[in-house]
Amino acid sequence: MAEKKQGRLTKVLDYLKHDDPFSKGVAFCPGCGLELLLRFIPRVLGNDIVITGTPSCSAPVLLGQNNQSWHTLSYFGTLMTGAAANATGLVRYYRKAGIDNTVVCFNGDGTANDIGFGNLSGAAERNEPFIYICYDNEGYMNTGIQKSGTTPFGATTTTTPYGSVHKGKNLRRMNLGLKMAMNKIPYTATATLSDLEDLAKKLLKAKEAKERGFCFLHVFAPCPTGWGADPADTIEICRRAVKTNYFPLWEAENGRIRMTKTVKKPKSVNTYTELMKKFHHMTEADMKVLQDDVEYEYCLLGGLSVLEAECQLPVSVKDQGDAS
Amino acid sequence: MSSNHYFKHEGPWSDAGDPLMCTDTGDWRTKRPVVDKDKCIFCGFCAIYCPIQVMEMQADTHFEANLDFCKGCGICAKECPKDAITMISEGEFVS
Amino acid sequence: MNTTTAPSRIKVITGNAAAAIGAKLARPDVVAAYPITPQTEVIEQISTFHASGEMDCELITVEGENSAMNAVMAASLAGGRVFTASSSWGLVFMYDAVLAVAGARAPVVMVNVNRETPGIIAVSSGQQDMISTRDAGWIFLIAEDCQEVLDLVLQAYRLAEDHDIQLPVMVHYDGFFLSYLSEGVDIPEQETVDRFLSVLDDQPRRTALTPGQKLGVGSHGILGGYMELRHKHVTAMERSKDKFEEIDKEFAGIFGRPYGGQLEEYRTDDADIVLVGSGSMCGTIKSVIDDQREKGMRIGLVKIRMYRPFPHQALVAALKGKKGVGVVDRSLAFGFEGGPIYTELKAFETRLDGTQLISFIDGIANTDITKTNVEKMIQMTRDLADGKDVPEVTWVSYPEANTKGEK
Repeated sequence: MAEKKQGRLTKVLDYLKHDDPFSKGVAFCPGCGLELLLRFIPRVLGNDIVITGTPSCSAPVLLGQNNQSWHTLSYFGTLMTGAAANATGLVRYYRKAGIDNTVVCFNGDGTANDIGFGNLSGAAERNEPFIYICYDNEGYMNTGIQKSGTTPFGATTTTTPYGSVHKGKNLRRMNLGLKMAMNKIPYTATATLSDLEDLAKKLLKAKEAKERGFCFLHVFAPCPTGWGADPADTIEICRRAVKTNYFPLWEAENGRIRMTKTVKKPKSVNTYTELMKKFHHMTEADMKVLQDDVEYEYCLLGGLSVLEAECQLPVSVKDQGDAS
Repeated sequence: MSSNHYFKHEGPWSDAGDPLMCTDTGDWRTKRPVVDKDKCIFCGFCAIYCPIQVMEMQADTHFEANLDFCKGCGICAKECPKDAITMISEGEFVS
Repeated sequence: MNTTTAPSRIKVITGNAAAAIGAKLARPDVVAAYPITPQTEVIEQISTFHASGEMDCELITVEGENSAMNAVMAASLAGGRVFTASSSWGLVFMYDAVLAVAGARAPVVMVNVNRETPGIIAVSSGQQDMISTRDAGWIFLIAEDCQEVLDLVLQAYRLAEDHDIQLPVMVHYDGFFLSYLSEGVDIPEQETVDRFLSVLDDQPRRTALTPGQKLGVGSHGILGGYMELRHKHVTAMERSKDKFEEIDKEFAGIFGRPYGGQLEEYRTDDADIVLVGSGSMCGTIKSVIDDQREKGMRIGLVKIRMYRPFPHQALVAALKGKKGVGVVDRSLAFGFEGGPIYTELKAFETRLDGTQLISFIDGIANTDITKTNVEKMIQMTRDLADGKDVPEVTWVSYPEANTKGEK
């Protein structure tokens, strides 16, 4: 029986070394996963990061209004179509001018996977030295919950609504993280908000790895408003996403994948979907499709990570050239 | 010639040297978190999971929400391992 | 023959090479490269300079033109000098970033090698890409020959980065007719160019995105703030007219090549007929004018060098009182019958004291604007001046468009 005052302060607080540069009163929905993530990043990485933002749920807060700001970070408000290219321009100029920098290219899944994918791919191919963080809330939320390439199978959105003929999204979601890892970039990782220590470590690893080139973080950030969930459940949703292998936590250094959290007895994906109204219309057959897909992706990841361990890939090979 | 009334620079630059903007988000909530000091084990989960980070340390005994900005989402109450936080309707506090 | 005051060397090079050399001499920090006919040689040359160490810049071999403009926009807003090049489809693919660059007042300099932007794939000459993007809010300059391509690139940096201006500048030159044409070009010495551009170093530094300085760019303009930004933009464009005149004069003093500023007026003083044109067609037109002058015809050319902002004050001053003016467009203005430059100039017709304007459309789809075509245009303008009945719009190389009665 623990004595009332025996609790130890969570280790996560040790990672929050810097002040929160954001104003306290900003327009994010109650329970917004993105708000937690956005405040977390500069507290871990420092307030001297240069952050780029695009039209998205983060835009009303990242970008200023007239001469005033909602935060003290240096930022670049730009278009979704060129986010990674903008960040490229910044880091290349800073390199030429000898200016120390940590550029964080901060985008939603719509920018990263859809409209901005071309330049994300280009930046990864050229191994540009910055950190690209994709916060995945599985849809275009700022414009009112529309489907994106990472919206999961079955989910209802305003462009994949439930009707008598069509019932939610009938396509699977894309796996951004894997796509990036396959190019052997210095660091790729997935993270979420229930495992904040893991997220903090990965942010710091990315900051160090970006000296060698492109880093990509795929962060699962629930949107209670868009997913039809109780705002109080945001963290629990993340937790269950990990526990059902819906969103496995892994990292890849130069394309060498390894799981950072192995779930010994993954729960069925129903325990995850039951928290969100966007899945509630799904039949048993639909749920099986989703479950099979979750298992397929986990199998793939698992297989790749085992392969890495077994192959003992040589370390001395220069994995990626310098962006030059 | 143009004025520099709304923007200090030629282009669309904002300057955080000026006071930051701030919305009265405390006004949004319909329920507020109430912390039972005796149950609180000072683990800090409520503080790290609060999206706005309004849970403030009270000496080293417990946490309390800064009600100026708490939006009443209920994450702190949900995540507290000791159920030390209860979400109470704002209606209870109207005098 | 002007004697130059600065040492230089003459080489026979293409228009594309001239653009690349101009960029090299300007010493940009960041260059973005993506190929498209007829621009490809520009970025190939720059890549060669970069690989040999002749050019000390960050070369970004982007995966698309959209990224090219986005990358140079960011580098420019971070404080760097930048360069890129494109044409037709590439230009319109980067168009969202082109608009963003102008709105953000980033002093980006690029060359656009004019090529058609039709609904069909046409790898052919024409200024349609320039017309398709004329409202972007950029300064548009047009070169007549390979020398002017190089010179305009240098003038463009002085104009774009001037603290009073801070607007992006696009230097246009005809694809196929200038891009691949070899001419003798007087290449200035690096030292002279450095001196010409060093004037910018003495001006206040523009706002730049630097880590830790609590400044952000891309802020939303709200209501009055938005209008303030737009007004600043519009007034800066207006200021760029005089600034360009100043820079051109200074350039003439240092490099020995006077161009005339916003317009070049060729033998217009005592002319009663004038053709208005831009780009490589002007070389042909000048040659025909010289022939006709020998026969006693009082004819001149107004060559538009600065297309945006539209130099209406200078054009009105140059054309006022002339008996007939033929405006030659190497493009179309959809929704209007005449060409785009003709239509824009027509808005000022009432200020011309009775001078009449007619429109010639020629040189699109890789058709040559030949000396015969020019003679025809001159004849028709003469007829206009003589009070004869002349169609308002003539497609010089496509007679099917000129059937009377069809509108």
